[in-house]
Amino acid sequence: MTDFIGHGEKEIKERILNPGEAKNKIKNLVSVEISGRIARECIDLGYGFFTPLEGFMKKADVDSVCKKMSLADGTIWPIPIVFDISSQEVSEKGIRVGDVILLTRMGNPLAVLEVEEIFTYDKDEMAQAVLGTIDAKHPGVRMIGRMQDTFIGGKVTLVNEPQFNPPFDRFFYTPRQLREEFKKRGWVRIVAHQTRNVPHTGHEWLMKGAWFCAHGEAPVIGDKDEIKLGTGVLVNCIIGPKRTGDYIDEAIVLAHQALHEGRYFRDDVHMVSITCWDMRYAGPKEAIFHAILRTNLGCTHHMFGRDHAGVGDYYGTYDAHRIFDQLPPGSLNIKPVRVLEWWYCPLCGEVTYSGLCGHTKERQKFSGTLIRSIIKDGVKPTRIIMRPEVFDVVMECAERYGFGSPFCTEEYLAKRGPVFVVPPLD
Amino acid sequence: MAETYPINIWINEERFEKLKAANLADMAVDRLGGMKVIQVQCTEKQKDKILKLFPMAKFDTATTKSIELLPREVKDKIFDITLKLKSIGPEVMDEFLKSLD
Repeated sequence: MTDFIGHGEKEIKERILNPGEAKNKIKNLVSVEISGRIARECIDLGYGFFTPLEGFMKKADVDSVCKKMSLADGTIWPIPIVFDISSQEVSEKGIRVGDVILLTRMGNPLAVLEVEEIFTYDKDEMAQAVLGTIDAKHPGVRMIGRMQDTFIGGKVTLVNEPQFNPPFDRFFYTPRQLREEFKKRGWVRIVAHQTRNVPHTGHEWLMKGAWFCAHGEAPVIGDKDEIKLGTGVLVNCIIGPKRTGDYIDEAIVLAHQALHEGRYFRDDVHMVSITCWDMRYAGPKEAIFHAILRTNLGCTHHMFGRDHAGVGDYYGTYDAHRIFDQLPPGSLNIKPVRVLEWWYCPLCGEVTYSGLCGHTKERQKFSGTLIRSIIKDGVKPTRIIMRPEVFDVVMECAERYGFGSPFCTEEYLAKRGPVFVVPPLD
Repeated sequence: MAETYPINIWINEERFEKLKAANLADMAVDRLGGMKVIQVQCTEKQKDKILKLFPMAKFDTATTKSIELLPREVKDKIFDITLKLKSIGPEVMDEFLKSLD
């Protein structure tokens, strides 16, 4: 049991019915078709990614999260996880407290929701509290603004497991599966790398630097060619809604795997995985959420770089570092690894750490925009900027999945294959 | 002199050969880790017009202060005009914008 303790010292429990039970359970239930975000969050709740949450929040939890950054019981939690629905649908379908409703995605059963509370909450208040702004240019504000006017709180149980499609299927692990995988690999320390990007060497060195920090004073086990390190990097790609100009999901996941297969990381220190989550771009508060999420995945450390989960200039460059100092000691079971950026220095002749290199006039900063510009021009970057295997995979993904582009286009967004499907419940 | 804003055109072997053939290889400068680039300059007015015409493009205010993410075909056309005019000044963008009228 101790292998499966997650955030808040609570056991990670999967809330999934077997097919036989599920078929009986859903008979005659009122059904509600859910959005992509709610479907992803049902999956996260069902598998325990959001431990200790067992379902969508009730008003006391939402209020406490907004005002105190903790659940009503005091457990640290920075972002409301809510089920929104229109009051009209509640009324038309006669949904009442005490009911169990069936949640469907693309017409197929995904989960059941126990209706424990039906409530309203001021969306501007929620946005201001979580995101620090109600500016409609902030994507998190827009997401909250798009929510319906009513919320239902209650436990969620999956009645039908999603099927992940290639190439994502080999990278999807539930929290319990990941912990078993870490155990199999002999990893004692695991540092999470959160990403929505194709990796350039600046990212590669962020991961390597974070590995050094996490490994720290840990002993070397074995000798000569049999050295075991017991520390690993978990690349956890966030899969959620996309906007035009973003890298396509397939390129992100497979480009990270290309670093592995190109042996820029040893097999026994690096693995790639995915998690479904709709980014709120909440900057520092999202950093805490990511720490909680990766605690539940079994990570012991989490790397945070500059402007983590930020957008525009709503947050200070290192606000996501500093927020961890405001938490009560012992409130998280994961250590933040707080790092500055890596840059290319022509005098050092290498990608180097901005906290160490003194050639501030000569340094050449990585910029995501600049790298995208190079790729968009179809120009192969030098290997000190992007590994050739990574570039090749990105361009292959453009042809295979991206309708000719490694970036999301209107065509990709309209025609892309789904990351997962909810099959019919036979 | 009024401020100008660059469009980065990244130089691969094919583009570099064309620059060399036009005796313009010196226009290419090292920008990032040995990557070569030519920087075609836009005036403020040209910058605003380009961003309006190509909404997928972005003015990178944070790090590079350059206009990025223009489609490859657009960059190819700007590059050809650069070769023709043997310049990376705002007159290149004047001719490019005129060609769209």
